Amino acid sequence: MKLLLELLVVDDNPADVALVCEALAGSKLHSKINSVGDGVEAMAFLNRREKYVNALRPDLVILDLNLPKRDGLAVLAAMKAGPDLRRIPVVIFSTSQLRKDIVRSYEMGANCYVNKPGNLTEFFSAVKSIEEFWFGFVNLPPRGE
Amino acid sequence: MSSAGTKLEKQDSAAPQSKLRALLVEDNALDAALVVRALYKDGFDVSADVVQDEAAFTQTLRAHPPEVVLADYNLPNWRGMEALKVLRREGLDIPMILVSGALGDVTAVECIKQGATDYVLKDGLARLPEVIRRALREKDERSLRQHVEEDLARKVDELARSNADLEQFAYVASHDLQEPLRMVTAYTQLLSERYRGKLDENADKYIGYASEGAQRMQVLIQDLLAFSRVGRNGVATGSVDCNAVMAEVLQTLAPAIHESGAVVTYDALPSVWADRTQLAQVFQNLVGNAIKFRGKEPPVVSVLAEKNPQRWQFSVSDNGIGIAPEFAENIFVVFQRLHARTEYPGNGIGLAICKKIVERNGGRIWVESQPGSGCSFKFTLPLHGPDGAEGAPS
Repeated sequence: MKLLLELLVVDDNPADVALVCEALAGSKLHSKINSVGDGVEAMAFLNRREKYVNALRPDLVILDLNLPKRDGLAVLAAMKAGPDLRRIPVVIFSTSQLRKDIVRSYEMGANCYVNKPGNLTEFFSAVKSIEEFWFGFVNLPPRGE
Repeated sequence: MSSAGTKLEKQDSAAPQSKLRALLVEDNALDAALVVRALYKDGFDVSADVVQDEAAFTQTLRAHPPEVVLADYNLPNWRGMEALKVLRREGLDIPMILVSGALGDVTAVECIKQGATDYVLKDGLARLPEVIRRALREKDERSLRQHVEEDLARKVDELARSNADLEQFAYVASHDLQEPLRMVTAYTQLLSERYRGKLDENADKYIGYASEGAQRMQVLIQDLLAFSRVGRNGVATGSVDCNAVMAEVLQTLAPAIHESGAVVTYDALPSVWADRTQLAQVFQNLVGNAIKFRGKEPPVVSVLAEKNPQRWQFSVSDNGIGIAPEFAENIFVVFQRLHARTEYPGNGIGLAICKKIVERNGGRIWVESQPGSGCSFKFTLPLHGPDGAEGAPS
C-alpha cells in the first residue's frame, strides 16, 4: 500500500492555498495538503505543538517568504537548525524576484526557489511540477518521528 | 560707552555718510582718533569701539559685532594678529585690516598670508577708507556667493531626495500591486476555464474582458518595475566594447531580424565608459524599435558612432515609418505610444528606459526624423570615466 505523502503549504493568502489545491486536485499522487497562514503556525505544525499534536511530519514544505509574525526565512532558519526538521525539503514559493531573497534562501538551505507565476496556467504547471518532482522522482528521506 | 573699551563717535552734519561699525585694536588713543577722523573725512559715519587686549576684544565682538576690525600690529599687552585667531574661533567672517606703524614688507606679506585682509601704514591713513570699502565689498560678494552655493546645494539635495523617494515609490507600488493583481488574473482565468459556456454568452464575454485587462495591467506593472529598477542598482560602470555588445544584441534579436528580413549593420564602434548591461539594453531597444516600426520595405538599420571633442555620439538609423517632429519629445515618456496596440504591440516603456539609462550614464538622447523617411535615434556618452579613465581604444 502506497503511503500518502504529506505536503505543508505555508502561505498567508488563502487564495494562493486554494490555487495550490486546485492545481493538485486531479493529481495521481494523492498527496495530502495541509496549510498554515503564518510562520508561528508553521513552526507549531512542524513541531506538533498545541492543536497540531496529531499532525504528521510533512514530506515537503512549500514556503512563502512574506508571512505575518515570523517570515519565511525565519521559518527556514528554524527548520534547518532543528535535527528532526532539517531533512525535510523546502521549496520557497514566492512572488519576489529579488536577487537577495533568492540568494539568501539558498544560503539558508532552501532546496529550491520557485517564483509564483502571475498566470494561472503557469501557476498550475509550477505547482504540478513541484509535486511531480518531489513526490514522483525524488527519493525522500524517511519521515522523522 | 562700551563696557569693554572706549567708544569713539564722530558725527557732523557734513556730506552724506555711510554708517560703519568698526572695532579698533589700538593702545594709542591719539592714533585711534586719527583713524576715525580719516574715515569720517571720507564719508563714513563711524562708530568705533577701541580695545587693547584679548578679553575686551572678545567681549566687544560678542556684544557689538563690528563690520571691520582695524588692528595695530604691536600692542603692549597683545598682538594685533592674535585678533584673527579670535575671529576664527568665534566663527566670524569679519575683514581685519592691520593699521600699523612701520611694518616691513616681509611681515606684511606674512600677515596677509595668515588671513589679514590688508594693511595700511599709520602715515598713509588716506588709503584706509578705500581699503575698507574694498574689504566690505569682497565680504559681501563672498557671502552672496556662499549663499548662492548653499542654496544650490540645498536644491540639489532636495531634488536627489525627491527623486529617490519617487523611485522607491514606483518600486514599492509596482511590487505591492502585483500581489492582488495576481489573484485577479489567476481567478478570472480559472473562472473562464471552469465556467465557459456554463453561464451565458455575456458572462463569457465579461470574464474575458476582466481577464484581458488584468493581464495587460500585469505587463504594465512589470514594465514599470523594470523602469524603476534602472536606477535602483546604481550604475556599474567600466570600459565597454560596443562592438561586442552589438554582437550580443543581434543574437538576442535574431528571431525578429530573421522574421522581418532586416539588415542591421554596425561598424568600428568604440569602447565607452558605461554600465554594460544597461548599454546593451539601449542598443537592443533602439534596434528592436527600428525593426518593429518598419515600413513596407524590409528594415535597414545602421549603428554608427562618431567622436566629438567632448563625447561619443551614437546613432541608430532606419528606413522605417518615422516619427512626426511634434512627437519627438513625447516618445521618451513612460507609457507614451503613438500607435494603437493592434498596429504595433508594446507598452511604450522601451524609449523611457533608454532615456533613463543614457542620462544616468552621463549622456542624452533624442530623435531626428520625418514621417515616412525613417528615423535616426542619437545618444551621447562621455569620452572618459569620472576619474578620467578612458574606454580602451577599439
